[in-house]
Amino acid sequence: MTTSVSGPVRAPLGRLLRSELRWVLRRPRTQVTVMLLALVPVLTGLGVAAAGSSVGGGLLTQVSGNGLVLPVGALSICLTLLLPLAVTMAAADALAGESAYGTLRALLLAPVSRGRLVLVKALGVLAVAVTAVAAVTVLGAVTGLILVGPSGSSHGLLTLSGTEIGPGQALMRVVLAAIWTVGQLAAVGAAALAVSSATDHPLVVLATVLGGLIGSGILSAIPTLDWAHPLLLTTGWFAITDVLRDPMPLAGLASSSARAGCYILLGVTLTLARTATREA
Amino acid sequence: MTELAIRIRGLRKVFGATAAVGGVDLDVPTGAVMGLLGPNGSGKTTLIRLLLALSRPTAGTVELLGAPVPAAAGKVLPHVGALVEGPAFHPFLSGRDNLRRCAAAEPLLATPAIPEAVDRALLRVGLADAAQRRYRAYSLGMKQRLGLAAVLLTRRRLVVLDEPTNGLDPAGTQEVRRIIAELHADGATVLVSSHLLSEVESTCTHVAVLDRGSLIAAGSLPALLDGETPALDVRTPDSTTAVDALRVAGLSAAAISGGVRVELAGTEAPTVVSMLVGAGVAVHEVRRRRTGLDELFAQLTKGDGR
Repeated sequence: MTTSVSGPVRAPLGRLLRSELRWVLRRPRTQVTVMLLALVPVLTGLGVAAAGSSVGGGLLTQVSGNGLVLPVGALSICLTLLLPLAVTMAAADALAGESAYGTLRALLLAPVSRGRLVLVKALGVLAVAVTAVAAVTVLGAVTGLILVGPSGSSHGLLTLSGTEIGPGQALMRVVLAAIWTVGQLAAVGAAALAVSSATDHPLVVLATVLGGLIGSGILSAIPTLDWAHPLLLTTGWFAITDVLRDPMPLAGLASSSARAGCYILLGVTLTLARTATREA
Repeated sequence: MTELAIRIRGLRKVFGATAAVGGVDLDVPTGAVMGLLGPNGSGKTTLIRLLLALSRPTAGTVELLGAPVPAAAGKVLPHVGALVEGPAFHPFLSGRDNLRRCAAAEPLLATPAIPEAVDRALLRVGLADAAQRRYRAYSLGMKQRLGLAAVLLTRRRLVVLDEPTNGLDPAGTQEVRRIIAELHADGATVLVSSHLLSEVESTCTHVAVLDRGSLIAAGSLPALLDGETPALDVRTPDSTTAVDALRVAGLSAAAISGGVRVELAGTEAPTVVSMLVGAGVAVHEVRRRRTGLDELFAQLTKGDGR
């Protein structure tokens, strides 16, 4: 037996990541949350179809005449609270929850370096965001097409601006809306992960992040605070309906995505800093 | 010079106003089984957490297997197996899936070797039949065994077990002893904490006793047991004659019930016996006096009349 230990050895990153994703996606609460989220577009579609054309104005009225509006509408509805809730739950479990269970210790003792731990955890949270958004989008699109079918003579999509775009274009816009939503959720997840790295109580994470979202909703409704509105993540969340306009205005989607990028950068930096000195 | 598996110098950890660990120096030789004894709250777990880089010391240094911790933790910890503060696993996963998750993070395990390593570890702790059951359904003893299985996933050079027999029945305790003995035979160094003396006495080669954050005794088990007051208990009906004869020879002796106790300072047992026989004392039985770790432990932890 040699005295000195050999150079640094590390478990392959891909293996760590697979193990994390299996853990995240097999967790009953993740599965239940995703299933409940997938019900939102289905129920919305059924509701709108049942009400027929008697529904009063707004985005959802369009659904009754147009199947591909449903996934975008469902994403928009879920983004206000349900999708952030799902992502925050995942982030709360990722560090605070594992710490509370004591299982974080096993990872640090293996050892997994703290930098890689944050990377793996962040990707795990992102996986939940992608899965949840995919569930809402796919079930929204399927429900919309079954209940309403594509509208217009060319089987395309009737935009909010009254013009019609082809099915390929329409699909691309739905995918764009989904990707944009994942970006916004990644921002929520990064902020939640930062809180998660600073506590052993998953509930604290949930309360902080949801409180923050509701709080920023209130702030954005106060006109005298308009100087602060560009700082709030929720400010740009109306931009998702832009994908249904023709021509599509990109300014709102771009600025909200840039804002999300800032939140991601800040959240991940804080998480790394806090995790580096965390006692497990 | 003996190689040291663990070398601790001036280790301190302060939480607020209290020092959980207050200036500990400790050497654990390679291949030893060191029992870390101390009453609840004496700082055993804090010390172990500092060793494993789970917590940062306020002052002092730690070397594991010759490398400084926490600086070189990434290099050393793959060779270290640890069970700290009880077993911790995910309740919704089976025992096997929990272990696979642990194995995925083990740097020294090659990916294709993981399934076999997991099954072997489960077999070794007697959980092979319960491998498919969810962790939530495990009994306390089974949870503890799964924690041990995680330690046994790869061949370790140092194993740290924090109260490994907590919640185990006598058979389970026996199993833990067997595993510690196997690790020892395999050349691994083992550090095992406990507040149960019997456990340490039957498995350890070395003992360290911790009380309120300070190390109050450390050394090899025989040295600690005998080192205090090497003495002989002689059973004889002629205790007065015996004491007189020994005192004349310059030995410290005192009458005890049924005989005399002789302190072996500078003499050997045969000398004492021949001296007594020469003085005409009827010697029925001579026994080397064992302090008994229980007695030692009691002395050490309440010696100041707390």
